[in-house]
Amino acid sequence: MSLKQRLVPYWLLGPGLLWLIIFFVVPMYFMGELALRSGSLTTGYTFDWAWSNFPDSLSGHTEQIGRSFFYAGTATLLALLIAYPLAYAIAFRAGRFKLLLLFAVIAPFFTTYLIRTIAWKTILSDSSPVVSVLQTLSLVPPDGRVLATSGAVIAGLTYNFLPFMVLPLYANLERLDLRLIEAAKDLYSSSRQAFLKVTLPLTMPGIVAGVLLTFIPAFGDYINAQILGGTQQAMVGNVIQSLYLNQRNYPEAAALSFLMMALILAVVTVYIRFAGTGAFMGDEDEETA
Amino acid sequence: MGTGDTRARRAALTAALAVAAVAMSLGVSACGSDTVGGGNTGEVTVAKAGPVTGNLTISNWPGYIDPGPKGTVAEFEDKTDVSVDYIEDINSNDGFFGKLQPQLEQGESGGRSIFVVADYMAKQMYDLGYLQEIDHADLPTVFKTLSPGLRSPAFDPERKFSVPWQGGMTGIWVDTAKAPEIRSVNDLFDPKYKGKVTMLDELRETPALVMLAEGVDPAQASVDQWLDAIDKLGDAASSGQIRRFTGNEYTEDLTAGNIVAAIGWSGDASLIENENAEWRMPAEGCTQWMENMVIPVGAPNTAAALAWMDFVYRPEVAVDITEYVEYISPVQGVKELLAKRGSDLAESEIVFPTEEFTRNCTGQITPPDLEQVNEAWQDVLTG
Repeated sequence: MSLKQRLVPYWLLGPGLLWLIIFFVVPMYFMGELALRSGSLTTGYTFDWAWSNFPDSLSGHTEQIGRSFFYAGTATLLALLIAYPLAYAIAFRAGRFKLLLLFAVIAPFFTTYLIRTIAWKTILSDSSPVVSVLQTLSLVPPDGRVLATSGAVIAGLTYNFLPFMVLPLYANLERLDLRLIEAAKDLYSSSRQAFLKVTLPLTMPGIVAGVLLTFIPAFGDYINAQILGGTQQAMVGNVIQSLYLNQRNYPEAAALSFLMMALILAVVTVYIRFAGTGAFMGDEDEETA
Repeated sequence: MGTGDTRARRAALTAALAVAAVAMSLGVSACGSDTVGGGNTGEVTVAKAGPVTGNLTISNWPGYIDPGPKGTVAEFEDKTDVSVDYIEDINSNDGFFGKLQPQLEQGESGGRSIFVVADYMAKQMYDLGYLQEIDHADLPTVFKTLSPGLRSPAFDPERKFSVPWQGGMTGIWVDTAKAPEIRSVNDLFDPKYKGKVTMLDELRETPALVMLAEGVDPAQASVDQWLDAIDKLGDAASSGQIRRFTGNEYTEDLTAGNIVAAIGWSGDASLIENENAEWRMPAEGCTQWMENMVIPVGAPNTAAALAWMDFVYRPEVAVDITEYVEYISPVQGVKELLAKRGSDLAESEIVFPTEEFTRNCTGQITPPDLEQVNEAWQDVLTG
C-alpha cells in the first residue's frame, strides 16, 4: 500500500469525525462540566466537582424513569409487531404497489412531529368517533377516556416511531435470498418452521436496528407525554425539561441526562449481546459463520 | 481483512482521540472562568430612541393582539416604515425565561426587541441585568394615557424598565352546558368532575387559588401553607381528579369538550370556540396580574420598540386591542371609546373590573423560599 492509499481512510473519515467533534464531543464536554457545577441562577453556577448532583438528580424521579422504560419498551414491542408483517408484505407481496406503500410509510414525515402529535389529540379527544367506537367495543369504559392516559402516550410513541422500525426491517427483508426459504421447504420444513429457522434469524440485524432506532428516541421523548398524557404520565424527558426550563437547575438536569445516557448505553449493550447479532457491531464473520 | 486494514483502523482511532483531546482543551480555555450565570454585571443600558424604521421582532403570548391583515400589527406597519415580526412564542413565564436565559446571559435576545412578561418575571429579568431601562421622554403617549393606578407598582416604582401591556384575572372557566353549578375553586375537587378538570401550571396561580379557597391569604402564607396547597393538588393529580396541568392549552380542551371546567385566564374568550364557556370569578377570590412590555439586552432596533410601545398607548389603538383580546387595558379612556362604539364590553366586569368585583383577589405572590416551593410544585407537574 502506498502512503497515498493509506491516507484515504482518514480523508473519508474526516467530515464525519469533524461533525461528531463539533456536535457531539464538545457539547458532551460542556454538559459534563455543567453537571459538576453547583449554585443557582442568581449566584451563578460554580465548578466545584459537585458529584452529589448525580444522586440528587435521581432522587424522587425513579418512578418517571421506570415509566419511561415501560412506555418506550411497550411502544417498541408494538411497533415491531406492526412493522414486521407490514415490511414483509411490502417486500414480498406488494408487487407494483411497493413504491407507493413505501412512500405511504414515509409520508407522515412531510408534516412535523409536533403537528402530527397534536393531530392525535383531536383524534383521541373525549367525544371523538374513535373513542365512541372503542367504548362500543368495550375497550374503553363508557365513562372512560383515551386522551391523557398512558395508553394515549404509548400509542403516540408507537405511531411516531413506527417508520424507524419499518424501514430497516424492509431493507433487511428486501435482500433476503428467497432461494433459502425454497431450500428449507425442499427439506420438508413447514412455512412456520421456515420462517422461524430461516427468515427470522436472517432478519435479526433489521430487528436489532429497528428496535434501537425506536427504543432510544422513545425513551427520551417528552413531546408525547406532554401533549397526549395527563398528570401521571410524565417521562424522564419531562423531568429533565422541568429541571432545565422551570427550576433552572442546570447542573442536575445535565447530571440526569448523563445518567440516562449511561443507562441506555448499558441496556443497549446487554441487548446487543443477547440478541446475538455481531453484524451490528461491524463483525461480519459472526453473521456468516 | 489484512493486518494493514486493522492497523489503519487503529491509527484512525488514535487520530480521533487526539482531535477530541484538542477539542476538549479548546473547550476548557473557551470557558476559562469558574462561574457561569449569575446575571450580567455590566452597566445597565437605556434603550436608544431614533429613526423609526427597519425590522422589529416582538414576542408575546397567543391571543394577545389581532395579528391579522386588519389588526393592530398591520396598522403599525402602515403608519410607520417598520416591518414587524410578531411571534406568539410565550406560553408560560418560567418556560419562556428558561428558554431565553442562556442567550440573555450572553447579552443576546435572540433577535427580539420586546417581550411581554408578568410583573415578577420582569423584576427577575431586571435584577439579573437582562433588561434595558426606558427613558420616559421617549414615550410621551404612554405616560399621558397610562392609568394612574399602574404608574408606580411595587416591583418597578418608577416604571424604569416595564410598560404594562394588558392585565387580567385568574379564575375558573366553566362549560355552563355541562357543569353550570361550578362557582368556586373547591368545586373543582368534587369527585363528580373526576378527570374533567384542568389547572394552570403556574406556581403563582394554581396553588395561590387553592390557598384562597382554604381561607389562607397567599401574601401572608408560610412555606408550609404553600406546601400544603401543593400537596392537595398532588393528591388530586394522582387520584385522577385533575386531568392535566396546562398553559394556554386548556382553551383547546374546553373547545374540544374534553373538560367541564378549568382554572384559566379571564380574557381568553377569543381562544375558546365553545359558546357555553364562561369565565367566573371564584367565590373565594381570584389572582390579578399585569403583564408588561420590556426591552431585553441586545435588542436590535430599540427605536422601533419604543415607537411600538407608544403606538399601542394611543387610546384609539388600545380600544381595538381591548375589543379583540378582552383583557384589562392599562390605557385610560378605553371604556368611553368602547361605549361610543356601542360595544357590550364597556359594561363587562371582566374587562373593567370594579373594586367590589375583585374585593377578594390577590396579586401574583412569589412564595417564601421560592426554590423549595417551586421544586415541590414541579414534582407535582411531572408526577
